[in-house]
Amino acid sequence: MDIWFIVSNTIVLACIYGTLAIGISITWSSLGLLNLAYGFIFAFSGYGAWLFAQHVSASGPGVLAAGILAGALGGVIICAVGFIPIHDKPNFTIRGLIATLAINLIGTQCLLWWFGPRSKSLPEIFGNWSVSLPGVVFTADKIGNVVTSVLILAVVLRWMQSSRRGLEIRAMMMNPHAASIVGIGVRRTSFYVMGITGGLAGLAAVLLSQTYYISPFGGLMPMIKGVSIALCGGLGSVRGAVIAAIVLGLNEALTSISIGGRYVLITQFVVIIVILLVRPRGIAGLLDKAREA
Amino acid sequence: MSIDSGITWRNPLFVWGGKRDVEELPTIPFRSHQEVWEGTRRSATKLNVVGRLRYYYKWPGHGGTMWNRLRYWPTRRRVLRLRGEYNPKTLRAEKTIVDKRPIWWILGLLALAIAPLFTPGDLQNTLLTAGATFGIYAAISLCWMLIMGTAGVFSLATYAVVGTAAFVTALLAVKFALPWWLLPPIGALVGLVFGGIIALPATRLDGFYYALLTLGLNELCRVYFVTSKEFGSANGGLYGAATYIPEDWSQLGQLLLAYYACFGLMLLALLLYRFVNGRRLGRILRMAPEKREAFAEATGVNFRQARVWVFLISSAALGFIGGFYTSNFGGVAFSIFNFDTVLLGLAMLVIGGVGRAEGAVVGTLIVVFFDQVLNTWGPARFMIIGLIMLLVVLYLRNGLFGIKAQFRAWRDKKKSERRSTRAEKGGEILPEEATETEDKSVIYQRRHDKMTRDHLKTLVSPEIIEEHRHSLNGQHSEALERLLIYFRTRPQVEKYAIMAVERFEGYRIVALSGHRGVAPRVVEDRIYATPDEACHGVFMRRVQDLLES
Repeated sequence: MDIWFIVSNTIVLACIYGTLAIGISITWSSLGLLNLAYGFIFAFSGYGAWLFAQHVSASGPGVLAAGILAGALGGVIICAVGFIPIHDKPNFTIRGLIATLAINLIGTQCLLWWFGPRSKSLPEIFGNWSVSLPGVVFTADKIGNVVTSVLILAVVLRWMQSSRRGLEIRAMMMNPHAASIVGIGVRRTSFYVMGITGGLAGLAAVLLSQTYYISPFGGLMPMIKGVSIALCGGLGSVRGAVIAAIVLGLNEALTSISIGGRYVLITQFVVIIVILLVRPRGIAGLLDKAREA
Repeated sequence: MSIDSGITWRNPLFVWGGKRDVEELPTIPFRSHQEVWEGTRRSATKLNVVGRLRYYYKWPGHGGTMWNRLRYWPTRRRVLRLRGEYNPKTLRAEKTIVDKRPIWWILGLLALAIAPLFTPGDLQNTLLTAGATFGIYAAISLCWMLIMGTAGVFSLATYAVVGTAAFVTALLAVKFALPWWLLPPIGALVGLVFGGIIALPATRLDGFYYALLTLGLNELCRVYFVTSKEFGSANGGLYGAATYIPEDWSQLGQLLLAYYACFGLMLLALLLYRFVNGRRLGRILRMAPEKREAFAEATGVNFRQARVWVFLISSAALGFIGGFYTSNFGGVAFSIFNFDTVLLGLAMLVIGGVGRAEGAVVGTLIVVFFDQVLNTWGPARFMIIGLIMLLVVLYLRNGLFGIKAQFRAWRDKKKSERRSTRAEKGGEILPEEATETEDKSVIYQRRHDKMTRDHLKTLVSPEIIEEHRHSLNGQHSEALERLLIYFRTRPQVEKYAIMAVERFEGYRIVALSGHRGVAPRVVEDRIYATPDEACHGVFMRRVQDLLES
């Protein structure tokens, strides 16, 4: 019973954090930008969904769509402020990282100033039903979270495989220099990429708010988890991120069961260090070619 | 210019009856070379002053005093780096202070030392507290700068180390009633152990990968310390440790003591920065900057080991600062593990400029001013700090102290752009090059050659060519004579030779290489029947070369 509860929780969290991690991976490999403003996008889209639920309608799909749109808007803002001005300047990698951190600082303080420190909760998106199997109960939000995140991730990856814009993004991921030579606009593509990854972050925010609340600094933990998964899986690889999400989710479940929830971050850190000591470019060092700075 | 222009040249040697001499030939009117000179000197556009400004003040003094150098123990360094030189115009001996930073440092530190005397009465409390905080944070920033600038490891774990050391020392101090002077050394030990653990991945990961790894470290520590029983999860921190500030002093005395103790801590951190960055470890790491590690490794520089050393030393120093933090405030709050604390610390480094001690100190000063002095502003002060950080990172390459280098690079770029729009070179040395050329006679020689060519180009005309074809040797008209003299005086690389393909039947033109042992090269396919025709062909080529130059 207890074990199944923790395992199902872990699967849900792995799906949500995996969504974030894939966003981080795609941003890094196509733009060369390490977006550490995800905490801000996360909280921003959460508040966007909350405003929608308060003022427009509290229907599940509407709130979800509002969150995703708000996330995409946040991504586009970060692209316009933090990527466009410096993407061709010297020392871009470190400067981009610091710029996104600065945006994170400004953005979360703005949210704190505007909405106050009290956390908000969203209406239940997936209703209030549950499925009982022998020995385990799956509630609506767990099934809904897993199905929605997998579905939307599948749609995004399918779109990247089959559409013209997706082809541009994949070309940028393979070789940004060559992509710009054959006429793929770095700036225009960056807006698509940041919009999509921001939308993924918004999706994760709305899904996670079924379990946790929305607060100005609530995006920090998901960002840390997402970055850890992306780093562990190898920046720039979707497959690596999926594997890393499973590994770290497993670690979280095992730690929670055996020694307690407050050691989750510590064991996770140890696991990541061990993986990175063996493969400095993450798990995907085996699978794909990771982007070199 | 036509042949019927009416001006003729009378051959003064005609009366001697030389072979093929003619009495009169049509020629061109006389053109003075002075006109070219005047034309070159005259300019329609506004002429800018050319040359380098003397940015440095030149101190007078005898060159011999340069050798009396004051060095400070235990290094062989001089107090000021002076350069002795002679003024190129007046040949007066003069001195230049190449590096003025020691002067600025001394002035700045003096200002900080006497600042408490000049604080206004009503703000004294705030300002002295902010000053003490500034001292501690400046010390932390300096140690972080060693990790980020000198070692090139983009670590975000600094405040985790400081906070852990502070919490452990606070716990020990509360439990075992340790005296305050024991806390910093214990903190250094804790920092060393913590640093040793997180230095492990630093040997394999580089740059920002390490930043991503350590991003969660602060949160990890916060979760651990907040949820553990020993560290007082209820009251937002752990207080009650021994402090070096005596209880029975007046409030002003306590504030002043804290201020000067934290100032002393900053001076210690500066000393550490100097000794790590300016000596062997720093030199080794400067040999291996980012993306050139492979070269450093190939030359036998063990930069990984040096990196880990710097990392461990700074971690121990950070732990020391953590212990000092506890003994200064009598405890530590959980807020040291906040992500915003890390971001503010990063802002301190970034605003000043990564890789410079002065950047760390000035950046800390700016951030602490907004954070502590304007603390009635609420979230707005964080927004201002974040905005400054964002603007600095968007527009400056290396923080405030990189402005000078960036401005100079920009000015040089603009200069060369303007030069390329207005310069007509033609073999002459450009004004900007001229100021860098040691031998000034070369400049005038090249300028004279250029003006000579400009003048000679005006002399080339069908009459002259016709005259040359008619009489290769003997007396020529003035214009042709000037041309031929010019051609004769040029170096060998510009000259041609005539090669006999078959004696008295076929001749062709070759160009001399100008280098010993390198054969002349054929320049055209045409075969001339007589040496005179080939000679005129050479003349035509030289004229063409002149017009193209």
